[in-house]
Amino acid sequence: MIRKSVAAVALAAVVPVASAKTVSMCVFDVIGVNGDLYNMVKDYALEMKAHGVDFELKPYTDEGVAVGDFNAGQCDAVAATDIRTRPFNRFTGSISAVGALPTYDDLKTLLATLAQPKAAPLMKENGYEVLGIVPVGAGYLFVNDRSIDTAGELAGKRMATLDYQKDAIHMVNYIKATVVPSDITNFAGKFNNGSVDTAYAPAFAYEALELYKGIGKEGGVVDYPLAQLTMQVIARDDVLPDAKAQTAREVAWGMFPQAMNLISGQEAAIPDEKWVKIPEKDIQGYQEMFRQNRLEMRDGLNGAPDVYHPKMLGLLSKIRCASNPASSECTAGNRE
Amino acid sequence: MNSSQVYLLTRSGGVVKLIATAVIFLLLAGCSANPIYSTTGAVLSGYSEGEATPYVLQMSDPHMACSLGEGIDPLLYSFSRVTDAPDATGSLLMLLAGNCMEYRAWEAELAYLRADFEGNVPAAKDAREEAKRLNAKTAERRLTAFNRAMAAYEFDPAEEPLECPFLFSEQDELTFLLGLLTGMQAIVNDANSGALAGIPRNIAPQAERAAICVDNEKWGGLPNSIRALVWLLLPDTKPPMSPDPWAVLDHSSELGVKKGLRASLALEAVAAETFGRPEVLAETIAQFAASEDKVEVWDDYQLVDEVAAAVIRFSSDKHWTANYGHRTPQSYFGKMSPKRDTDSVETMSLDDLL
Repeated sequence: MIRKSVAAVALAAVVPVASAKTVSMCVFDVIGVNGDLYNMVKDYALEMKAHGVDFELKPYTDEGVAVGDFNAGQCDAVAATDIRTRPFNRFTGSISAVGALPTYDDLKTLLATLAQPKAAPLMKENGYEVLGIVPVGAGYLFVNDRSIDTAGELAGKRMATLDYQKDAIHMVNYIKATVVPSDITNFAGKFNNGSVDTAYAPAFAYEALELYKGIGKEGGVVDYPLAQLTMQVIARDDVLPDAKAQTAREVAWGMFPQAMNLISGQEAAIPDEKWVKIPEKDIQGYQEMFRQNRLEMRDGLNGAPDVYHPKMLGLLSKIRCASNPASSECTAGNRE
Repeated sequence: MNSSQVYLLTRSGGVVKLIATAVIFLLLAGCSANPIYSTTGAVLSGYSEGEATPYVLQMSDPHMACSLGEGIDPLLYSFSRVTDAPDATGSLLMLLAGNCMEYRAWEAELAYLRADFEGNVPAAKDAREEAKRLNAKTAERRLTAFNRAMAAYEFDPAEEPLECPFLFSEQDELTFLLGLLTGMQAIVNDANSGALAGIPRNIAPQAERAAICVDNEKWGGLPNSIRALVWLLLPDTKPPMSPDPWAVLDHSSELGVKKGLRASLALEAVAAETFGRPEVLAETIAQFAASEDKVEVWDDYQLVDEVAAAVIRFSSDKHWTANYGHRTPQSYFGKMSPKRDTDSVETMSLDDLL
């Protein structure tokens, strides 16, 4: 009897390990293992272990290389920003559509919606599946002159633009600013040494990349989210069974408060006087401009790249109109 | 009362007034401080800087040294209420106190890795949470140590163009340099705490700039190691034409062994972990283990070398715990797996004996 129960206990102790499925994951964080994002993925991995999935994390400080290695089959999954993961799932890759989510509350509604089992079919595309979405923070416009607070004033200004971000390039061209092709490693330097007038980045960059230098005495951070950046975990479709993939998405959604804590800390590090508030009437103009751009980039009109998924734009529009029903777009004929 | 008496009285009244004013002035200037306290403060600060610090820096027991930091710091620094803040010594004491907290965080981290290896998720979660809290505390202490080191030399790390501080003695140079390093460590601890401590992340580029204020060769490559680590973290900070950061880290590690102050090796190990370079990590740990027999530790600063040794050992322990469920067995320090080198040992034929 005793021997039997000992055997049972031993078996019980062994089972979780034996049944855990090992999934290798390439994880992007500019600061590698000691970065905030990497640490968040570690929490996600630990939570997933309780559900029988053992993620083996491999740090990458270059996002392009992380995605490249995932493509080459070096990892079963990849965690990177949606700007890079867009090719694997255009629907979730459109979360960062320009100006589409003006508040973190709207973002919360969106991510809660996408974590529902009902949304599962939308998480699969071309043999890939989204295993989780976590916010990284809104992208803001950093300017070296506070008077650059309307789209009109951006005309002719030099703007550091990620050279692989097609929608941003289109947007910059649309407002008749000058694209200065950049990447994550050099945009801050360009802004700080004055070779560009404006750059966009999450609040994280203000302190870590010393963007306050480029802002100087005259500049600021425009207090309007250009886009909501997220980190997405993408895996090949056959890596996890459907039920486990759904659990993974729910686990990632469960990390929303943790991620938001991180983001609010980073935003609080920007002093109040550095934020450039824009008047309510200008905001409406902005919103309409962003909307026209999204439509162009949904349909590939006026030379725009067709990068945005119509279903995601529709969902985002529904969320915006739920939180702000008076907005003119909610009755517009060409609603997204 | 004759007129001369009146004159004397009024005169002495004037003297009394003068003395009273001076006393009030002194009291105000001393902020109600007991003069004995301020004298004691000055004596203690002077003693700490002149005698205790050099003594502690020669110690070979990082754990005892860190306990000293935790125990003495509140006492010594409390004198900042009655006299000038003893920033230089205060920064070293807080640095040591930070190390104590980090050792606790390390144990929690190893417990997390062990539980994770065993598949015991609740225990792993508990230990990871514990490690996060301890990392946050470590980060806070280290930020204080960094700020005190900067204040001690009236150095503003944000100032541009950079103006190097006057560092009068060797001990000043080391205190300043360790202050920069501690600031960088605070960022790492903060990240590992889930940003609970909210450490300003611009310390990294500031430390990169300030590291040029201290002689690289003299300090076993540590200043350049700090710079190279920041170049890896923030490629923008790398000056044009400067060598590859990994080559700088390598070179600095060699310098560290030569100088008997192997802090650069610890930084190279941290860089290897941070950027996911297992081969560099293995090489660095092996290099450290191999140097044990030949290194002549710089006596005056033995503690720095010992602290670095603890960092390397922890790197090795993390690897072993994550992969094998336990810390590095003693005879395997310098190796990354339990594979023995005994396969290649020559053996004699037993045929004649059988």
